[in-house]
Amino acid sequence: MHVLGLDVGSASSKVVILDENKNIVSSSVFQVGTGSSGPARALDEALGKLSLSLDDMEKIVATGYGRYAFERADKQISEISCHAKGIFHLIPTARTIIDIGGQDAKAIRLDGSGMVSQFFMNDKCAAGTGRFLEVMARVLEISIDELEEYDSKATEVVNVSSTCTVFAESEVISHLSNNVPKENIIAGIHASVASKACGLAYRTGLEDDIVMSGGVAQNAGVVRAISRELRRPVIVAPNPQIAGALGAALFAYDEAKKH
Amino acid sequence: MSKIDTIISQLDAISKNPRKAMEDFKAKTGKGAVGVLPIYAPEEIVYATGYLPMGIWGATKKQILKATSNLPAFACSIMQSIMELEINGTYDDLAAVVISSPCDTLKCFGQKWKGKSPVIQFAHSQNRDMEASNIYMVGEYAHVREELEKVLGVTITDDAINAAIEVYNENRAIMRMFSDVAAMYPQIITPKKRHAVIKARFFMDKAEHTKLVRELITELLQQPVVPFKGKKVVLTGIQAEPDELLDIFEEFGIAVVADDLAQESRQFRTDVPAGSDPLYRLAKQWQNVTACALAIDRDKPRGKFIADLVKEHGADAVIVCMMKFCDPEEYDYPILLEDFEKANNIKNLKIEIDQQSESLEQVRTRVQSFVEMLG
Amino acid sequence: MNETEGMNAKQKLGYYTQKFYDDAMAAHDKGEFVCWSSSIAPSEFFRTMGIHIVYPENHAAAVGAKHGALEILELAERKGYTMDNCSYSRINLAYMDLLVEEKVTGKTPEALAKLDELKIPRIPLPDIIIMCNNICEVLLKWYENLAVTLKVPYVVIDVPYVYEWPIPQRAIDYVEAQFKRAIKQIEDLCGKPFDYENFIKVQEQTQRSIAAWDKAMGMASVVPSPLNGFDIFNFMALIVCARSDYASEDTFTTLADELQAKADAGIDAFKGGEKTRIAWEGIAVWPYLSHTYKALKALGTNMVGSTYPSAWSIHYEPGDLKAMAAGYIGCYYNTSLERRVDVLGGVMENTKCTGILYHNNRSCKNMAVMNVEMAEMIRERTKTPFASFDGDQTDPRNFSEAQFDTRVEALAEVMEQNMANAANQNA
Repeated sequence: MHVLGLDVGSASSKVVILDENKNIVSSSVFQVGTGSSGPARALDEALGKLSLSLDDMEKIVATGYGRYAFERADKQISEISCHAKGIFHLIPTARTIIDIGGQDAKAIRLDGSGMVSQFFMNDKCAAGTGRFLEVMARVLEISIDELEEYDSKATEVVNVSSTCTVFAESEVISHLSNNVPKENIIAGIHASVASKACGLAYRTGLEDDIVMSGGVAQNAGVVRAISRELRRPVIVAPNPQIAGALGAALFAYDEAKKH
Repeated sequence: MSKIDTIISQLDAISKNPRKAMEDFKAKTGKGAVGVLPIYAPEEIVYATGYLPMGIWGATKKQILKATSNLPAFACSIMQSIMELEINGTYDDLAAVVISSPCDTLKCFGQKWKGKSPVIQFAHSQNRDMEASNIYMVGEYAHVREELEKVLGVTITDDAINAAIEVYNENRAIMRMFSDVAAMYPQIITPKKRHAVIKARFFMDKAEHTKLVRELITELLQQPVVPFKGKKVVLTGIQAEPDELLDIFEEFGIAVVADDLAQESRQFRTDVPAGSDPLYRLAKQWQNVTACALAIDRDKPRGKFIADLVKEHGADAVIVCMMKFCDPEEYDYPILLEDFEKANNIKNLKIEIDQQSESLEQVRTRVQSFVEMLG
Repeated sequence: MNETEGMNAKQKLGYYTQKFYDDAMAAHDKGEFVCWSSSIAPSEFFRTMGIHIVYPENHAAAVGAKHGALEILELAERKGYTMDNCSYSRINLAYMDLLVEEKVTGKTPEALAKLDELKIPRIPLPDIIIMCNNICEVLLKWYENLAVTLKVPYVVIDVPYVYEWPIPQRAIDYVEAQFKRAIKQIEDLCGKPFDYENFIKVQEQTQRSIAAWDKAMGMASVVPSPLNGFDIFNFMALIVCARSDYASEDTFTTLADELQAKADAGIDAFKGGEKTRIAWEGIAVWPYLSHTYKALKALGTNMVGSTYPSAWSIHYEPGDLKAMAAGYIGCYYNTSLERRVDVLGGVMENTKCTGILYHNNRSCKNMAVMNVEMAEMIRERTKTPFASFDGDQTDPRNFSEAQFDTRVEALAEVMEQNMANAANQNA
């Protein structure tokens, strides 16, 4: 038996396939999200590795912003529940999840059995999300993947305090024109994202263990900034980008076992 | 179509097309209409003139173009859409508009009306437990009355206002009953239908509204009560719009069993008390308003009030419909959170209300997650 | 009163401001009563009975000016306040929580210790609070939250919005009744009758302080101005905090004398560099006070016009409670658009402003929502150009130096052009 979880985010598409024993037998990530070819390509790749087709899947659960756009899903479940499920499966000691995705930041509180007991999401604005990092990377003329490396070389964290993305952009530009090293500016940008995410996280009560998931968790600079802000160790989920898809696959597994 | 559907679609049509409702009223009575802005105003005085009081609560999905140069981005979306419409001349057929001043945005708003209709502004007192406050309010209502007389060229007698108060109190009573009956039939009265029935009262003669809602209640009570499998919630906030939001509630099996919305129950949960001087009666009503963000109360009873609603109606949770940039509501929220925790940890979800919102995907995620969390 | 002998006005300002905060702490430690007050609430009743008053708005501005705002603002957001709420209130409500936590646990919370490190003066928890909503309606909600959390007596002086000038008699009567209730609340707290004799003395002191303030601020109308406009923001602290005390009379008298001497000697604040004169409508941007000051100074633009000074100029005949009520109701920020234009236009004419800068303050809807209309009407009346910028009184996240600089430069260019044109026409 195989079950499939599909996470169609705003900026990327992720697939996880589980076998009878809840083992991840295939997964894929494409850096384009809802409304693009991303979901189809992620599905093709994950299924292709096993030489299987969608028809071979016992149950399919979709999550993420584009969850309703995928007609083959048996069920749609929100990304909050899916991230919680995925993370708790990987790290059963997780009680607080900080998930920063392309356009959302979320903080989730779990109880001892992995159930969501409270959650908080960011306002509509882009501050504190992956989108904010993208805009800043563009201003700094580096790729989003390089942010982490620059951050590791920072000697100082400069202040990037504006919440408004446009204002923050002008703050960054003025740092650049004052010859502040990019490394230090990037550390400041990461601190700004961390401060927004932590604002949500504090409201959960911050029980250990604190786990980060979502695409932005791959950026060690942001993780460091969050850990610094919370003054607590922060665990990064293995392969954090697929935590939501894994959760969806686990829900699909439960569905399959129900019948 | 069943009688229930007929009445609901009639009220729904009125709630969706206020202009037509106004024109029908004009054709029938030969009288015009007077706009009334949120949250509270002595509508009975307007009603006593024979003019139709029209609630002005903005418009959903209105593209904001001209308002941006007249209002800062941090004014609430109700005011943004009203501003856009007033610049477009949408309200120019109103004989007057009545604007209260309970928050900074509204009090400034009353000073900068861009439409052609004359503006009648007034203020509410906030030291409400004092008799001096009642006396002040009598003066304010007398000012509204005089201005209306001047603008409309009519005389407003005490008797006419007292009669209007009776019509309004009757409507309030029937609306409270409707809210309770609707909670018994969540399969029939979906969140959207509930909202339409309530909203229609802003655009029609209250006596007629009462008549229709009474019929609706009679019909509903003949239906069998079926167990409800979804989640029951109490809504609080200024308003729960647009309709797409209510569709999302329905999609995830949420029923609204009671509300504390400024646009809904807060409009009809406080009757005007008995008496002879109509303006004093109206003043006393303001004194009796409780648990509202716009009526200052040093004990802040709103959290407990909502907790009681939850208990009374067997609700599973509270959804806070937060009107973004509404100071009075935003300052209540941290205290509400404390009160919900004290009241046996009532589960609650905050969603941001923005009339202009084009995409409700984030709200959908929040609501779905919340329902999943409630289990 | 000899303790300030020989001090100049700036030294007196520093001395009294420090003393003011120290006295409040000392009073609290001795078990005397301390009141928290909104910035233009009647101080007279409390000072009559020897109750110390501290001003959360002034304290929040100090937190902002000393760069302590960010962390404490985030504490408020964690509690559920939004970034869109007034930053003064967020700072104060979070500060209150920290004081309560310290009191309950006996340990100083880290965030509070950090503010101590920044040398931001402490304020003690209050025994009573007073709120007068003549500057905004947010105060109603802010103090309601203080009252319900601290469970202390709450004096509300509700001044209804004056949507049409002049003030209606019914509003005066209503506020007078509230004054009487306030007196009763204070009597209950103190456990002794209100001292009406001393009340007259305190009212007289208040009027003398205000007269000295008016005189000092009036010096801004001299061209070129001996008063550096940003000193209005600095000296304001005392008219807020010590309006009913000799401290403010003492300081402002000295300030007025100093400015008069400078004017007589032909010395101006910019040492001959005053090119243009503007009015600033709205609150200062406290975390960027120095940046905004320097940006304007570099352009030779002195900010000489402000509606601030008049906001505290509450004139009345001592002993006349109704006149005092009218004074507090008629505060600039509680009045109609027309009245505000009248006052602001008058300020600009008196101080000979050649332009005006509007602060679109994210924290203050009351001072931002009518800016568009004010700007149009003021331009019509004064024929001077205006500019506006986005900012916030104490939230450093809502201001952009680059935007500010561009806007004030453009304004200065237009003003200079206008002056050149006028000179050509006269030639």
